[in-house]
Amino acid sequence: MIHVENLVKWYGPTRAVHNISFDVPEGQIVGFLGPNGAGKSTTIRMLTGYLPPTSGAASIDGMDVTKESEKARRQIGYLPESTPLYLEMRVEEFLHFRGKLMDMPRADRVKAIDYVSDRCGLQQIRKRVIGQLSKGNRQRVGIAQALLHDPKVLILDEPTSGLDPVQIGAVRQLIQELKGKHTILLSSHILPEVEKTADRVIIIAGGQIKADGSPTELRQRVGQGASVLVQVKASSESVHKAFAGVEGVQAVDVQQQGEWAKAVVQPKPGNELREQLGQTILTNGWAVREMRNETASLEQFFIQITADQSQVVEESVA
Amino acid sequence: MNHVITIAKREITSLFYSPIAYVVLALFALGSSLIFFNAFAPSMPASMQATFQGLVWLMILLLPGISMRLISDEFDSGTIELLMTSPLTDTQLVLGKWLGAMGFFLTLLVPTLVLVGVIEAFGDPDYGPLLTGYIGLLLVGGFYLAIGTFASAISRNQIISYMLTVFTICLFTFVIFLLSRASFIPLKLQQAMQFMFVNGHFEDFGKGILDLSRVVYFVSSTAFFLFLAVKLVESKRWR
Repeated sequence: MIHVENLVKWYGPTRAVHNISFDVPEGQIVGFLGPNGAGKSTTIRMLTGYLPPTSGAASIDGMDVTKESEKARRQIGYLPESTPLYLEMRVEEFLHFRGKLMDMPRADRVKAIDYVSDRCGLQQIRKRVIGQLSKGNRQRVGIAQALLHDPKVLILDEPTSGLDPVQIGAVRQLIQELKGKHTILLSSHILPEVEKTADRVIIIAGGQIKADGSPTELRQRVGQGASVLVQVKASSESVHKAFAGVEGVQAVDVQQQGEWAKAVVQPKPGNELREQLGQTILTNGWAVREMRNETASLEQFFIQITADQSQVVEESVA
Repeated sequence: MNHVITIAKREITSLFYSPIAYVVLALFALGSSLIFFNAFAPSMPASMQATFQGLVWLMILLLPGISMRLISDEFDSGTIELLMTSPLTDTQLVLGKWLGAMGFFLTLLVPTLVLVGVIEAFGDPDYGPLLTGYIGLLLVGGFYLAIGTFASAISRNQIISYMLTVFTICLFTFVIFLLSRASFIPLKLQQAMQFMFVNGHFEDFGKGILDLSRVVYFVSSTAFFLFLAVKLVESKRWR
């Protein structure tokens, strides 16, 4: 449904997006994840026809976004990053305005506005002036206008930024409900956000795709080589000695904390250590107060990638 | 065409929500009355020729107040992104904006109809020159607003676009007015400048003469600036 091929965007001497390619099949929810300044919004703006790519191509439902821009734009419902709205308009008035721009006849508009108002919880505020609405309600209006013409593709740029946890939950649920009816591309710089809503995560940093896969796949990729954290009542030397002897252990790092020794055991790639470590503890008869896989969470993976971004930027300058 | 009207309608409504529109409205009503009553005396002709001439000068300062926000505001608030990602062409956007401003300009002219009533009450006016005078005002206003639409696409700062509009209009009015009387300018050049002089073209309308070449002058220069505005909006996409 969304096809992106070698997309490149230069802003003067700065390279914002560098050779991004991906495909999104119909009905999938894709999370576009990356730190601020990674090139998420730029990529999205090229997809929606707001910015022309420096090179490369993108198409929506087979229509090229630069050559058949108007047709492509009709397939897209778009919520821009800062939720720009006409503050002096009333909610319903604004939705009618959007509907007219999408060439919806009056009867269709009335029906569609009823539908999106229900969906996005706008029934109570339909007659209110947008400028007087809270950030959360404005966000709902923004999503409602994107949904209005029942687009095949829904592109939401940071739909939850600036919202409180309850509102974030509501938006997340809304996106879940829309699953299957639309192909959805949403961007965020907050990981759990994307992890919970998306079928697939594309991590982008420094204008390049760093990882692409389902949240589970990505976690597995990261999970391999997850170290195990153990706290036992023993001296650090004996713990170090015992754990270093376990098969499949790459490195052991022990710290003494009073009576307790806190060990971080790093496995060789592909090894699962917890069972054997447990055995070792039993044989030594140590008291245990903690043992867990230090999940190299997606969070860590993400932070690692984010850290790499500064390097990429330096490279492009050099 | 529907899109143009949609944009224009929204523009007029939003103009009525902005304080600047009411300032312009008040100043225009006040200014036109002052100019009118300045020339309103027994034994004077029952016409509005002097009022019209004065209004053309007054519009230099007031109309840019309406046009300064047209496109700059969209860029400033980010709503331009909503418009440009809708199936709306840049030409439709610019035309809609200009048409919206024209709609507001029409509202400005409504209070001046009271002055027509005053002439009717105290004299026996000739409605021909009044009608052509209003047509002339619309053409001049359209031209000024086209310059304003163009200037509002240059900067997202409304003050800059206001100043730029006033400056450009002055080139076609005030500057020519002064230079064409300066002795150091050769006669040929003076004549060429006269051809660009807005007030010169307007004069006939006030007298009741509807000259096609005058109409062409205003329509083509309006179209020229609107064309520039479209090109400017298009170029924003490429930056």
